[in-house]
Amino acid sequence: MVDALIQGLALVLQWNAFSLMLVGMALGFMVGMLPGIGGAATLALMLPFVFKMSPVEAFAFLLGMHSVAATTGDITSILFGVPGEGLSAATVVDGHPMAKQGEAARALGAALMSSLVGAIIGAIALAISIPIVRPLVLTFGSPELFMVTLMGIACITSLSGLDTKTQMKGFAMGFFGLLLATIGQERQSGILRFDFGFTYLWEGLDLIPVLVGIFAIPEIIDLAVRRTAIAGDKPPKLLFAGVWQGIVDTFRHFWLVLRCSLVGVFVGILPGAGGGVAQWMAYAHAVQSAKNAADRSRFGSGDVRGVLGPGAANNSKEGGDLIPTIAFGVPGSGAMAILLGAFLIMGLHPGPDMLTKHLAVTYSMVWTLVLANIIAVLACLALLPYLALVTGIRGGLMIPFLLLLVFVGSYTANRQIADLLVTLGFGAVGFLMVRFGWPRAPLVLGFVLGKLAETYLFISVARYGYSWVTQPLVLVLMVITALVIVFPYIQERRRRAH
Amino acid sequence: MRISAAALFSLALAALAAFAVYKALSWPPKAALFPLVMGIPLLVLAVAQVLVDLREPAAAGEGWRRPLVVFAWMAVFIVLVLLAGFPVAVPLFVFAYLLLESAERWGLALALAAAAWAFFHLLFERLLHFPFDAGLIRDWLTGGGS
Repeated sequence: MVDALIQGLALVLQWNAFSLMLVGMALGFMVGMLPGIGGAATLALMLPFVFKMSPVEAFAFLLGMHSVAATTGDITSILFGVPGEGLSAATVVDGHPMAKQGEAARALGAALMSSLVGAIIGAIALAISIPIVRPLVLTFGSPELFMVTLMGIACITSLSGLDTKTQMKGFAMGFFGLLLATIGQERQSGILRFDFGFTYLWEGLDLIPVLVGIFAIPEIIDLAVRRTAIAGDKPPKLLFAGVWQGIVDTFRHFWLVLRCSLVGVFVGILPGAGGGVAQWMAYAHAVQSAKNAADRSRFGSGDVRGVLGPGAANNSKEGGDLIPTIAFGVPGSGAMAILLGAFLIMGLHPGPDMLTKHLAVTYSMVWTLVLANIIAVLACLALLPYLALVTGIRGGLMIPFLLLLVFVGSYTANRQIADLLVTLGFGAVGFLMVRFGWPRAPLVLGFVLGKLAETYLFISVARYGYSWVTQPLVLVLMVITALVIVFPYIQERRRRAH
Repeated sequence: MRISAAALFSLALAALAAFAVYKALSWPPKAALFPLVMGIPLLVLAVAQVLVDLREPAAAGEGWRRPLVVFAWMAVFIVLVLLAGFPVAVPLFVFAYLLLESAERWGLALALAAAAWAFFHLLFERLLHFPFDAGLIRDWLTGGGS
């Protein structure tokens, strides 16, 4: 195994593989910064170019691009409140408020450093778990996976709701998100649901326009209303001092970063639950680990821990994602599904072969993850203080450009005018939600998980009837979910008793 | 009694849930299961929220004018894209917004519009070869629909 590890490194360091990785990273850097065009979409766009490459070159190119996109996506999230990636939406929640308070550099430093730590932990997890992960993944059947999705929504709702009043709204939004995911053709029976006669809706709502609308448009409107720069009248602290502080934060909360990285790896491993889920789960975990209600109430208004958690998870997730993709050919996310396409183009079959015959190629992927992230973080750190200055530009100049990014980004989803209308519509919904105090995160998580949750529920019922609820692991997960839901109430009661 | 805007929003959500549940009832069980399992709790929660909202006094509202203006600009942009396609709509929109809405100087608006066009053109058209539709106007001029 050690031989293969070293052999893998040698493969990546060959000059053509390495330079292709750098090209991929440059692309990923830009794509990650631009809202909407996700890493997955870019992977798909770049797939035709890998035909002539060797496997190691192709994966260096694609993975280099993909892992950088996740990191730089956080930059846009923090600076503009517009998720640069579907995967980095959770960073908006605390990162953008920090930028509004003139702490953009610190938030960016924290996001980058935690991303690096996360990526390395993800790569280590990938390296050591490849041989041992198989039995673990296989113990989770559809009933358990359905409960895991519900638990995810319960976590994010119950733990990020500031008080018990908002919690009810959070659950409503979770269900609303799950319901939104049912739009379009039902997979088992072929029935068209809520299509209102539009062929556009047959495939269901696309994630990108919905996400960008809900998160980005309210921020842009807020900027227009305030008539100031993003950082308001607090000029962004230029200087490396802010960035340095963010790096220090990462190590001050190192255990949190570590735990969130592991959350990312684990969620990445679960087939189909990849994408943005890991980040939100990590965010929920960061909130949950707050010491008390007062401590928790800082989240959402610019707490650095709310940046560190998702930052770590969305990079460690890559390592986790690759595990089922390589080991069983079951992609953990949309991006990995596309990467699976690259495997087939290369004539490689995921599965036992990758762990025996092509072990060096597998380990070259591990190394790509590590190297690409280290280089990307160093490059970003050098540029960061200047990027943070953007938050000092007056809003009137920024708004048309932000609107462009938003609409171009969502148009790239399906290339239809309807994408723009969906973005506008969900922008209005998001705006009203913010105004009336409805949390947006549960809606998004529900929407992201909806299709998956429905499939799990369908298989569970088809296979076990309604007795699936009595399976032991399901019961355990149910109890945990219930505890998560009642936890804030207990805490509030305890606080009143004091 | 005046109904607050917040209560109206909750009411709209409840109505949406009720509609979803009503629609789902007419589907075969396979297709109806999930929408019902999610729609019914949503309906209950939203109705509860309406009751909560009605009991609370309407909060002093923030203004609606500015947000509506921005939404109007977004609608303008979409119409521009529809008519002229992205490559034309992008610089046009940046120029119009900067000049009319942000009251910037002519020169600056023009320069930034040009920058937006250049960036857009280089990244999406040259580098990524992203196919953008040309818009209705060109279809009319060339006499062919797409």
